[in-house]
Amino acid sequence: MPVVDGVELPETPLLDELEKGPWPSFVKEIKRAAVESEKAMKAGKKIKLPGAAKGLLKVLELSYKDKRTHWKHGGIVAVYGYGGGVIGRYCDLEDKIPEVWHFHTMRINMPAGWFYSTKALRAICDAWEKWGSGLTNLHGSTGDIILLGTRTEHLQPMANALAYLDKLYGSPAPFDIGGSGSDLRTPSACMGPALCEFACYDTLEACYQFTIRYQDELHRPMWPYKFKIKCSGCPNDCVASKARSDFAIIGTWKDEIQIDQEAVKEYAKAGVDIEKQVVKKCPTGAISWDGNELKIDNKNCIRCMHCINVLPKALKPGKERGATILIGGKAPFVDGAIIGWVAVPFIPADELIDKCCEILEAIWDWWDENGKFRERVGELIWRVGMSEFLKVIGQKADVRMVYAPRNNPFIFWRELQD
Amino acid sequence: MVAQKVEKEPEEELEPKTDFGPPHYSIMLHPIIKNNYGKWKYHEVVRPGVIKRVAESGDVLYVVRFGSPRLLSVYTIRDICDIADKYSDGYLRFTSRNNVEFFLTDPDKIEPLIQEVQEKLGFPCGGTWDATKGEYGLTNIVHTQGWVHCHTPATDASGIVKAVMDELYDYFTDHKLPALCRISLACCANMCGAVHASDIAMVGVHRKVPKIDDDAVRRTCEIPSTVAACPTGALKPDMKRKTVILDKDKCMYCGNCYTMCPGMPIFDPENDGVAILVAGKLSDARYPPQLSKVVVPWLPNNPPRWPEVVQTVKKILETWATHAEKYERIAEWIHRIGWERFFELTGLEFTEKLIEDYHRTPYLYTTFRTSAAFRW
Amino acid sequence: MAEEINKEELKQKIIEYLQKKPWQVRDLAKILRVKKKELDKIVQELINEGKAAYWSSGSTTYITTPEKLKEMEEKRSGV
Repeated sequence: MPVVDGVELPETPLLDELEKGPWPSFVKEIKRAAVESEKAMKAGKKIKLPGAAKGLLKVLELSYKDKRTHWKHGGIVAVYGYGGGVIGRYCDLEDKIPEVWHFHTMRINMPAGWFYSTKALRAICDAWEKWGSGLTNLHGSTGDIILLGTRTEHLQPMANALAYLDKLYGSPAPFDIGGSGSDLRTPSACMGPALCEFACYDTLEACYQFTIRYQDELHRPMWPYKFKIKCSGCPNDCVASKARSDFAIIGTWKDEIQIDQEAVKEYAKAGVDIEKQVVKKCPTGAISWDGNELKIDNKNCIRCMHCINVLPKALKPGKERGATILIGGKAPFVDGAIIGWVAVPFIPADELIDKCCEILEAIWDWWDENGKFRERVGELIWRVGMSEFLKVIGQKADVRMVYAPRNNPFIFWRELQD
Repeated sequence: MVAQKVEKEPEEELEPKTDFGPPHYSIMLHPIIKNNYGKWKYHEVVRPGVIKRVAESGDVLYVVRFGSPRLLSVYTIRDICDIADKYSDGYLRFTSRNNVEFFLTDPDKIEPLIQEVQEKLGFPCGGTWDATKGEYGLTNIVHTQGWVHCHTPATDASGIVKAVMDELYDYFTDHKLPALCRISLACCANMCGAVHASDIAMVGVHRKVPKIDDDAVRRTCEIPSTVAACPTGALKPDMKRKTVILDKDKCMYCGNCYTMCPGMPIFDPENDGVAILVAGKLSDARYPPQLSKVVVPWLPNNPPRWPEVVQTVKKILETWATHAEKYERIAEWIHRIGWERFFELTGLEFTEKLIEDYHRTPYLYTTFRTSAAFRW
Repeated sequence: MAEEINKEELKQKIIEYLQKKPWQVRDLAKILRVKKKELDKIVQELINEGKAAYWSSGSTTYITTPEKLKEMEEKRSGV
């Protein structure tokens, strides 16, 4: 058996191959947790799940040998008052590797934009070293802090550790559990106005407000299936909201792109080929450049962001800012992968949060009433039609909702029928 | 003998608290970020991995980005915190693609930071791009749990990502690509890491229906909810034998039944594997968002380093990087040269498995505007 | 309809159903002919009283009894 710092590790010849190479290795992370947690325990620290990371090494090495998973799903969500946020996991090698027989995941609601103070992160580490495997994902697919692996009886103490993280572990604030199951999943946001000059609305505040207002929807799953909200500050969509959320809020503007002609010239002087890199790449041919002045035909601009991305010092989104709402984005099961489509072409930034809440609540009421088990809201709209959906959210049809009008004349004239 | 009193931990005695939500982001922001919130003027790329952000106030912040393996031990996170305390005033950020970022006010500290991170953590600096120059770096691969923690994976996630990033390392640390390229991995088609709109996606695929172990079904499962879990109605209860019957033609190998019922495992070491998809994108820039398209229906699971998958991804990436014009993402490049040329240049084989035959996505969807790009 | 049924009787009925198998509230609402929203509230009360419990497939969520939950978890965690 290999021994590191006085700690015996299991033989893992296959996993060891993944310690090689320049990219940081997750195997090194698991080994590190195995070694350091045992050292910490020997030094007198409280570790409630000894050997967990070592157990994970053993299971994973077997998976690499057997080319299959050794995890089974558990349905337990044993945190007081909540119906989500814990993913039950059991190992099918209970007798061989009892250290990880129970290995449940906890999802923890991250701060909007994934900004942290080290005080907060250290506090989470201290609590998780004590009550879990000491292994995490920063972050999970939806955005939560993922705490990988603990036993059923430690779920509530760990939830309490997080709820009192300020008092017990010196965090600047406590942390709450995130979403899972048929509920509102933890909303997420791009860095927005915190760091980015492209942000057309306050993504972090919007994300925080939705999360706080809908704690009940996030923690008590009652819907047909999951529902995701993501906030992107501009059409570059750095949080992939169009594909990864049922309700994507994409920052945009309505008026003219702001141009600083001097800055354009500086870019040209510095070697940017304005004609080739900007004018020719405009998807609607809305830009012209005579070597002195950059002109944008704003009536023809579709706000795709390309020119602004290339010339950030010279071009800025307009002043009349807000967001477009896309509805229905989701992964393939069951009716196929969907990128969300336009449900509301524009909401001004100062009305955005309240208006979104109004629309969200209308959607949830309707979907909860009409959705079939496991039917995402986008699939329900496909089944009953956009016209029904537009009534629900109180929107008039707008040509901006489609690339083109319908292909066939089989129109349902329901209002004319007796 | 006096019975020993079991001492309870404070966490075991406290009243549970609910519905207080995440910390407000404002207490997690670096003072320079807080002071210039919403008032950033512009940014420029200093070198791969380092973005200089300039505020209207004149304040300057250098954001330095490093790739992480996503799976992190609390011990490494503490090291990250030590570095953030030393260089970044005790604040840091993670990106949506598992990179970690530090905030510097003194440009002279950039090099020492990069060196210290490389020495202590082994994390490479990079993952950025310079749109002004039209020079792009590869960013980190978003991925799912795989064999580390998932019960329905058709492949591992972290292992493939590590092997691919080892091979593409220089693309991460430098700006050598013509445009953005987002690589993603989902360990099964349920796609908890929704990868269906990535430039290159690796997706774990099951190819055989679940194996029903009648005994285990009787012992461990609850039949009505198992039947109801099937999204395509492929399962029927067999009340007499107290088990379930599967219509193989309707099954799409999602593993939802295995979630409900451990008696019908979906994994299959020899038949599970990885499909490769390309040409998805989500930004509205230049060309509208696109769903990824399957270009390799299956490659074998070949742990620990999946050479077939790694080489296929590398081949696609480098063929595109060689032939694409500036700013052309894979979708835009293929739009220009055609799928005929894509298969010719990459040497990938076009087979009947790549022709759509999944009927459920409605025709009406093709006219919906999947983008925020439109005229006013 | 909902008003006519005594709430305690309804709770008792719900528990009887929950003892049979895990349920989605929407299906129970149809069978008991109660509005789903109302049933959501009553089920939440039962959960708070410790008489009902959540069971989650990770992607979707069911309601069951604490005893049934324990039984299901023991069955599926076993070898």
